[in-house]
Amino acid sequence: MVTVEDYRSDFENEWCPGCGNFGILEAMKAALVDLGLEPHQVLIVSGIGQAAKTPHFLKCNAFHGLHGRALPVATGAKLANHALTVLVNAGDGDCYGEGGNHFMAAIRRNLDITLIVHDNRIYGLTKGQASPTSDLGMPTRIQPEGTVSEGFNPLAAALALGAGFVARGFSGDKAQLAMLIAAGVRHKGFALIDVLQPCVSFNHIHTHGWYKQRVFDLAAEGHDAGDWNAAMAHGRQWGDRIPLGIFYQEQKPTFIDRIGMLQKGPLIDQAAVAFEL
Amino acid sequence: MGLDRTIVIGGEAGQGIQTVGQLLAAACHGAGFEVLAVNDFESRIRGGHSSISLRVADRPVAAPCRRIDLLVALDARSEAVHRPDLAEGGMVLADSAAGLDESRALSFSFDQMARDAGGKILANTVAAGACLGLLGAPEDHCRKIVRQQFEAKGDEVVTRNLAAFAAGYAATREERFKGRIQAGWDLAPRRRLMEGNLSVALGAVAADCRVGAFYPMSPATGIMAHLASLSGRYPLVVEQAEDEIAAANMVVGASFAGVRAMTATSGGGFCLMTEALGVAAITETPIVVVNAMRPGPATGLPTRTAQADLNFVIHAGQDEFPRFVFAPANPAQAFETMIRAFDLSERFQVPAIVLVDQFFNDSLFTVADFPKPPEVVRYVIGDADMVDPAAYRRFAVTADGVSPRALPCRGKALVVAASDDHREDGHLSETIEDRRKMVAKRFAKLPDMEAAMRPPEVLHPDADLLLVTWGSSRGAVREAVESLRGEGRSVGAVHFCDLWPLPAVHVAELLGSRPFVTVEQNFSGQLGRLLRAQTGLAPGGSITRTDGRPFFAEEIVAGIEKNEMT
Ligand SMILES: Cc1ncc(C[n+]2csc(CCOP(=O)(O)OP(=O)(O)O)c2C)c(N)n1
Ligand code: SF4
Ligand SMILES: [Mg+2]
Repeated sequence: MVTVEDYRSDFENEWCPGCGNFGILEAMKAALVDLGLEPHQVLIVSGIGQAAKTPHFLKCNAFHGLHGRALPVATGAKLANHALTVLVNAGDGDCYGEGGNHFMAAIRRNLDITLIVHDNRIYGLTKGQASPTSDLGMPTRIQPEGTVSEGFNPLAAALALGAGFVARGFSGDKAQLAMLIAAGVRHKGFALIDVLQPCVSFNHIHTHGWYKQRVFDLAAEGHDAGDWNAAMAHGRQWGDRIPLGIFYQEQKPTFIDRIGMLQKGPLIDQAAVAFEL
Repeated sequence: MGLDRTIVIGGEAGQGIQTVGQLLAAACHGAGFEVLAVNDFESRIRGGHSSISLRVADRPVAAPCRRIDLLVALDARSEAVHRPDLAEGGMVLADSAAGLDESRALSFSFDQMARDAGGKILANTVAAGACLGLLGAPEDHCRKIVRQQFEAKGDEVVTRNLAAFAAGYAATREERFKGRIQAGWDLAPRRRLMEGNLSVALGAVAADCRVGAFYPMSPATGIMAHLASLSGRYPLVVEQAEDEIAAANMVVGASFAGVRAMTATSGGGFCLMTEALGVAAITETPIVVVNAMRPGPATGLPTRTAQADLNFVIHAGQDEFPRFVFAPANPAQAFETMIRAFDLSERFQVPAIVLVDQFFNDSLFTVADFPKPPEVVRYVIGDADMVDPAAYRRFAVTADGVSPRALPCRGKALVVAASDDHREDGHLSETIEDRRKMVAKRFAKLPDMEAAMRPPEVLHPDADLLLVTWGSSRGAVREAVESLRGEGRSVGAVHFCDLWPLPAVHVAELLGSRPFVTVEQNFSGQLGRLLRAQTGLAPGGSITRTDGRPFFAEEIVAGIEKNEMT
């Protein structure tokens, strides 16, 4: 039986003490254990940023690629071997900024992976510039008068693009986050889990306490995850009350299901065919 | 000299020039001739001017010829554009709608005949019939080719095209067309007709490429279209990516996960792929990237040809890393090069780049059957090959720099790769020791990589002057060399397919103290500069062409004569 201990990595962690990333890391381990997956059965793909370092801090197969480019790498890996369980750890800048086009494309493909976005609403690794999810008007060193772009709403965007699994977690609620990650992995198709993640070093607005006062569990309020309109309404809810949980879930054919050649099994396992002119 | 004729068909985009070209090429090839069909078109779907130049000979031809023996003009503009290249005694055949008087062209109404045969879109088939009539091709043979060409579109289309063909063919029986261009059709096809694009795709499947990811860009799209058409016959999936950055990263992901993968693009797309090239390099993930060159910078001339990305692809990406660069000359070499690119990329765990160009990709060549490809060797290991899979280190330092490569989720060994520099186990490290170790390890591959490079190919090595070229310019250069030798000049030719790492030892041996000039389609003579940088041997000059059209042997000859290079 796989245990959390099996996922323990002795590689020195590089995050700031008190960072929300720790909660996400622990929730991931708990989810993988819950899924009965052993480290060698998991491939984690990530981009660049503080979030993207996650695969180094647990045991797994990992491809820690370029800033913004985790999703295409995951797409290629799935094409080659769709038996792989692939999770992607990305930052908000990584995934919604630099890799925005890939985010849209992965949803449209219904790529069967679980995308965990560590949404600290800031560029952490590059020391505190605005990210796509930073609030309009948030002052930073680069934008001393405040940012001039509206914040990007990943949940509403994912819903609008037709994503089949849209959820939000909070790094301060590990049990719920672990449940969301496990549900995302079990979901056949693209699963987005946007995680509210305090950055103790650079985001002094969205602190642990700020979130703690505002978050609530959608399921406890009887939200129907099959109701897209309700999901969209909650997706746009922000401020005094911030919903957590599964906003929307719908099963539909995945990227792999739609490619005829892959119905014969993973490409990597298909027998070679002798060349003929 | 035996038979060697050039036919040019010109018209607007959308008039079906390519169909005429394919029909003529198939008919001539089917009759045992060697054929080279070069497409020349603008970056638009309708209007403008496009043409196809068909060279038909009784011996292999690998470059177009400037001198036109038969010009078929579907519009007045085509006659004006190509008249300067009309050979002495050459013939112009035009649609009467072009309004050319009898001193300029022999005309009849393609359009009227097309309408009579079933519709004005058949004008191109009327033109093909007229050409074949003038060439003296046997009618039965031609009918067979027309049928083959349109078979897939149904009986009605075949019937109409046969009627259009017959009308055009019969029109040339008139007295005024006497003095036809040639006879002597022996009707025994020897080899096959193949587009350059297809040879690249065939090489990829022969190398067991299983994932192709790309974003459309001329002149590379044809490669991926052919690859897509081969999916189904082979375990292969072609995915159209959201952009070239995604395409290249998908290839990296697919290769990391364990199958051979490629992408094809042109210069602009290659620019977007350079960061991924680096990630392949630092994660030591094999990838094959085909860059089908066109003139730049930026959008440049989208549908024309160039050889101007050599410098770029050798150096593309930040910092430095080992890579392979090849530039095949023709379809047979492209087929073989793709197989070698996949093999060497995987053996050394480095990116391999194959340079082709628009002339090569979009032209039809007469090729011999390809040899049976070698057995595919995968340079990967599994748990069974390890003493202790739990202790597996993806980037273990070895004497030759190549670490045993395991695949993720295929055993207990954990495979960790990172685009940050790393320790032997793939985890991040910024220590001086690890960085030095990894840089040294990556570059330790170079001597064996260089040893795997083939020397350039030489024609007449003892000549007083060598014309040095690379990629698809080989055909024109060889023809120029034969022509110059015919005039009593002592010239030879050198062709590079394997360009990087430059096989410097062979080059120094070959060029020694002999004078040489490079012939290439770029402004600065990039190969010449590269040779000088790598070997210290300086070319005596270079013959270049940068207008987006392929070399003619004739202009290379003129270049040598003008500069009194011999
Ligand atoms: C192509 C490229 N551009 C810029 C960077 C610099 N960079 C590294 S991480 C980062 C943003 C990090 O923010 P985010 O993705 O939100 O991750 P976080 O550190 O907040 O977890 C940037 C801009 C880079 N590594 N590569
Ligand atoms: S900078 Fe912010 S996000 Fe990054 S580790 Fe520190 S606290 Fe966490
Ligand atoms: Mg961030």
